[in-house]
Amino acid sequence: MELIEERVDDGIVDDDGHHAGRPVLGRPERDELAEPAAEVFDVAGLSAFYGDFRAVRDVTLSIREHEITALIGPSGCGKTTFLRCLNRLNDLIEDARVQGQVRYHGVDLYDPRVDPVEVRRRIGMVFQKPNPFPKSIYDNVAFGPRIAGFDGDLEELVEGSLRRAALWDEVKDKLKGSALALSGGQQQRLCIARAIATRPDVILMDEPCSALDPIATQRIEDLMRELIEDYTIIIVTHNMQQAARVSDRTAFFTVEVDEASGQRTGVVVEVDQTYAIFTNPSDERTEAYVTGRFG
Amino acid sequence: MPRAHFHQELERLEHELAALGDLAATAVRSATRAVTDHDEVLARSVIAGDDDLDRLYLDLDSGVIALLALQAPVAADLRLVSVILHSSLHLERVGDQAVNVAKILRVTRDLPANPTIVQQIGEMGDIVVEMLLTAMEALRARSLELCLRLPTMDDPVDRLNRNMHFEVAKLAGDPKALDWGMHMNLASRALERVGDNAVDIAEQVSFLLTGEFREFTDASHPGGVAADGD
Repeated sequence: MELIEERVDDGIVDDDGHHAGRPVLGRPERDELAEPAAEVFDVAGLSAFYGDFRAVRDVTLSIREHEITALIGPSGCGKTTFLRCLNRLNDLIEDARVQGQVRYHGVDLYDPRVDPVEVRRRIGMVFQKPNPFPKSIYDNVAFGPRIAGFDGDLEELVEGSLRRAALWDEVKDKLKGSALALSGGQQQRLCIARAIATRPDVILMDEPCSALDPIATQRIEDLMRELIEDYTIIIVTHNMQQAARVSDRTAFFTVEVDEASGQRTGVVVEVDQTYAIFTNPSDERTEAYVTGRFG
Repeated sequence: MPRAHFHQELERLEHELAALGDLAATAVRSATRAVTDHDEVLARSVIAGDDDLDRLYLDLDSGVIALLALQAPVAADLRLVSVILHSSLHLERVGDQAVNVAKILRVTRDLPANPTIVQQIGEMGDIVVEMLLTAMEALRARSLELCLRLPTMDDPVDRLNRNMHFEVAKLAGDPKALDWGMHMNLASRALERVGDNAVDIAEQVSFLLTGEFREFTDASHPGGVAADGD
């Protein structure tokens, strides 16, 4: 299934500058990529609004394939809003809209012809609180593929997804048992397995460990490092040490307060290699935040 | 959100490092003067005073380990912690070199001294003490400009140290004078090392300020500033 239904390229460019007939466009096979770290997302001048309220302003950054990108910053800086723009999850909120451009493997994600359901299949999300369905472990993982009309070997897909999420050994004897009987850490890995089962390209994670104990947190962090062999991960975290431990690149967001209106808007301050952000950041606002001198 | 306790502790360690720098500079000044002025009381005070340097060094070392373990410093804080760790070790070594110089007085007091060499030892001591103070001031003032003065200040020290061999060689005809001279060559060598330690500290401060570590001098590449040096 393609993001946009395939058409014959007639060379016509429509009013929005979209190539009307352009056939689009899965992600390229990895060995076809010219660059070792290709861009998955290319975001330019992105602002996100809830009604009149502008939550983030003018975000420009790129996300590289097979890397973990961490989004850090104080509360209200718009990092979760930005994350939700990357798989059009904000579409589900009334009055939410975006300006600017999110290109996903070169495709404008907000092109009206793009199917948001397909977007969310390719770009999965793991939330702060583990949210398994009140179903069996097996059915949780099988849910997405079934809806998508998966016609392969479902048992193999479920087992493979649970193995990839480092959960198989713990649940293989109770696949028919309720997912809600699992521990918090296991539930979160189940949610990762559920996301993997739809064979995504990108996994978005919104504070995936904030409800977990340190040991469960470490398992998720280890898992993330394993998963980037196959996926691209973007994680929002309030835990700066977690960003330092797991991510390759870090984007620091902060809040700007408009003096006249008092309105608070999130902006990106700096995006760099995680090592640089935590040893020698370029912007003094980043320095102040990561060293705890903020505010 | 501001990490008050952590930053107070980091400030305390930086003050301790400054105190260690003062002690080390004083030890070198006193040791040099003890040799040039035949002052045995001063020499004994340098040797006894080294325990204070060592205590301060150990306290800094454990303070740094605790900060790394408990506070996970990053960015400029992390660089400052690293600078404190490295610089305290350099200063502890400076203290040991001062002791080495002070001990030379004990084995040379009954031997004939050569005024030219004594004057050179005094001159080297003055310069390396000034180098230490400059490096420590560079840290206090966060001054890259002061850091960059250190390699130039080190040049005459290296020249005097090299010249010391020739001055001592001139004493070859008189076994007792030569015995004295060879000990002065050791003192010269110790002071030259102190100068290098001061340059090392300035390199650390430069890292703190710029985020990039670079050696000001590189003895393994002739033609560099350190071609004369160690």
